[in-house]
Amino acid sequence: MKLALVGVGDAGTRIVDRFVSREQATGRSITTGNILVFNTDDRVFEDTRTIPEERRVLLGDTHSAVKRRPDSADVSASAEGKGGDADRVHTGTHADTIDSYGVGGDPDVGATVAEADLPEIRRALDQIDETEVAATMLVAGLGGGTGSGVGSVLLEELNAIYETPVYVLGALPSTTEPDRRALTAARGIRTLVPLADATFLVDNEAWRHGTDSVAARHNNINEAIVTRLLALFGAGERDPEAISEMRVDSADLSRTLEVGGVATIGYATHELDRDDNDLFARLLQLLGLSNDTDDGGVDAATIKRLIRQALESKLTLPCAVTSADRVLLILSGPPDTISRKGFETGRYLLEEETTTVEVLAGDEPVSGATEITATVVLSNVTDIPRIDEIQRQAVSMHSLSTTDDHDTAGGSDSDLGDDEREDEVDPDRVLTDDTAGGEDDGDVDENDGSEVDNTNKHNAADSSVEAFDGETDHSFDFEAERDE
Amino acid sequence: MKLATIGVGNAGSKLIDQMIEFEVETGRNLCRHALIINTARTDLAKPENIPEDRRVLMGDTHRKARGHGVGGDAEIGAEVAKTDIDEIRRVFDDVEIHEVDAVLVAAGLGGGTGSGAAPVVIDEIQKMYDEPVYGLGVLPGKYEGGRPALNAARSLQSFVNKVDNFIAFDNDAWRSRGQTIEQGYEEMNEELATRIVTLLAAGEVDESEVGENAMDSSDIMRTLDTGGVSSIGYASTELAPAKQGLLSKFNDEDQSEDESTDAAKIKGLVRRAVNSRLTVPCEVSSADRALIVFAGPPEAISRKGVESAREWLESAADTVDVLAGDDPRPGSSTLAAVVLLSNVTETPRIDEIQNQAVDAQNKIREQDAVREEEIQSLITDDDNDLDPIV
Repeated sequence: MKLALVGVGDAGTRIVDRFVSREQATGRSITTGNILVFNTDDRVFEDTRTIPEERRVLLGDTHSAVKRRPDSADVSASAEGKGGDADRVHTGTHADTIDSYGVGGDPDVGATVAEADLPEIRRALDQIDETEVAATMLVAGLGGGTGSGVGSVLLEELNAIYETPVYVLGALPSTTEPDRRALTAARGIRTLVPLADATFLVDNEAWRHGTDSVAARHNNINEAIVTRLLALFGAGERDPEAISEMRVDSADLSRTLEVGGVATIGYATHELDRDDNDLFARLLQLLGLSNDTDDGGVDAATIKRLIRQALESKLTLPCAVTSADRVLLILSGPPDTISRKGFETGRYLLEEETTTVEVLAGDEPVSGATEITATVVLSNVTDIPRIDEIQRQAVSMHSLSTTDDHDTAGGSDSDLGDDEREDEVDPDRVLTDDTAGGEDDGDVDENDGSEVDNTNKHNAADSSVEAFDGETDHSFDFEAERDE
Repeated sequence: MKLATIGVGNAGSKLIDQMIEFEVETGRNLCRHALIINTARTDLAKPENIPEDRRVLMGDTHRKARGHGVGGDAEIGAEVAKTDIDEIRRVFDDVEIHEVDAVLVAAGLGGGTGSGAAPVVIDEIQKMYDEPVYGLGVLPGKYEGGRPALNAARSLQSFVNKVDNFIAFDNDAWRSRGQTIEQGYEEMNEELATRIVTLLAAGEVDESEVGENAMDSSDIMRTLDTGGVSSIGYASTELAPAKQGLLSKFNDEDQSEDESTDAAKIKGLVRRAVNSRLTVPCEVSSADRALIVFAGPPEAISRKGVESAREWLESAADTVDVLAGDDPRPGSSTLAAVVLLSNVTETPRIDEIQNQAVDAQNKIREQDAVREEEIQSLITDDDNDLDPIV
């Protein structure tokens, strides 16, 4: 499917950059230059490799609520002397994990800034040729003020001007991140999902585990996202294109997604080791130990297993697969390897496991490929424990802020935890006040931060996150910070 | 018979393509006109035997199709065909309809384009011409799932109501293990093309060869006249090289032995054609009319054999309406029998598809009913405390 990509915030920018780079490396043509990134802080722009300068749009640079990053010389100077933290605003519970630059993590500021810059946004969007693409995808970290805030306004705008579907790829914060990011993500979900034609979500929490360093881990997550998006949107977009019997066409994908809601992606690969295997397989056959009678192909059981693996693999957003409304399967590999029986029984397995009859399936023959991949899209999944969790986290955050604003009786004194938390100020308010009241954020936030650190229930995890701090939407910047 | 053929969607187009390939290979002349219609640009490019100007892309301006198919949605397939019907008619205008005996419309019934668009195309053709229109439809296999079954069950109704006869082909009956996707569909298309062309091309080889026992187009059309769903059986045998030399000619004993062997062979061939894989499995006795075509060298077609085969089919199909005739193919090294069972009413596979379709429709309706509510409940926290950003 020809797709325009619009990245917003640091996470969005980095994913779009990586997508285009991989698209070029694998000889596919999906975006064909229809890319654009928006941000309220231009630091991450410097890291991009495939996004031309005229496609990078810095918003809010004249807006009073947006904090400009000092010259890069100053930044590197202060970063060298361990005093990098002085450049950060400490807001809310896990203060020093939210960067002060740009909109400082506040989605309402993000939205305000984007509204104010609509003429500039529209001018930038003119660079995308909608007639060349079948859909547009907005890519954003939903825990970020720019991702969710600017993203919401951008999505409204894209909806208004494009006839073709507009999808969202949103990354959800992990549990180690500040509550305020959960609040932003919960509100982001609430805003973006109804506006988008479909929303792919990726859960950092599900992908967080592992023994690698944070940097490597996030690098892997980013890579995993792009691999899945390419398998999905890149099906049939190779040149020269092989002839396929059951070709997946872009209408299959758009029909799968047209029900709206939240979508998640599963993915599995089967390495073809044909030369080595052949001898062994032939030996087994000779000895009567194998019932695999295919010549050189992969037997039906292997294909079916691969499809099952894709469904049972770590989904970009874990969910109850039975809650899916529609399903799409793409089987990609050398045309002479894909067993028809395996393909059909695998497709039927999807219907049985997801309990939906709307299962579309197709193949993408790739001559000379060394592996077979199965990619499964589950569309409009509604049973997602992680979203409930984020909402609960967000509500507790939200109600605490509300209590702080309105509760004069101090009704929760008996509860120590609440007591501590009551000292928190509505982080949105803090941030807005900070930025509105001038650029001198350090003082206020250091006070807040020192107190709130006591309530930090994720000390170990947080310390690892801090090591990786220094980028605005850090959790969605899956790539390592270069300076580290 | 002389046909104008239209392939709708991927399966239909490939079938017509395969039919033309087979008739060229075997020196037959059945498809006088061929036209393919699709909603996916890349699929339209696949057939090899259809001229460029006989390929129609429809729905390229449709919001949901845009030249990339209809995503298996029969409603959109129908919608797109209705919108672009003028274009289809314009291409069909070139067809000299008086040159053909009938129109054949081929489609896969599980997908969106064939199942949705073909009935619209058939309507249009019947408005334009009086010639009979036959349908050739590929039924989805069980493992293709609920949505294809629903498309097929709905499309089957439209087809059977509109066409003069519907020849069904069941994907499930033709699955075999060990095939890749590529091989699987190619083999099925070859099998089906062989049957259709052998049946319908009878009597069109060479006027001079037409003997008194030759099958005539009007016989085939009469048999198809029943309406309903038909199934085709087929069997062939390789012939030993013809005996040379004078001696055999004068050996009466030998000849009568040959004769009875040939007769038994012919009858056996027909039994095999009916009992082996039919294009759609059915209760043979539920057929309304039946017809047998023997295609092969005239000397191999024993009259005695033809008659006993015909009698056997009469009793098997429990109908007196059984025609048998030859399609003489001098020099051919194979003898084939193709059996048409017209208006078979007991087809378990169609019942299965209908049951699967009803379940699918119920499921889809249930999902539709709660969809918006479920999305709302997903994105909203329990007490609706969180505000959207914009």
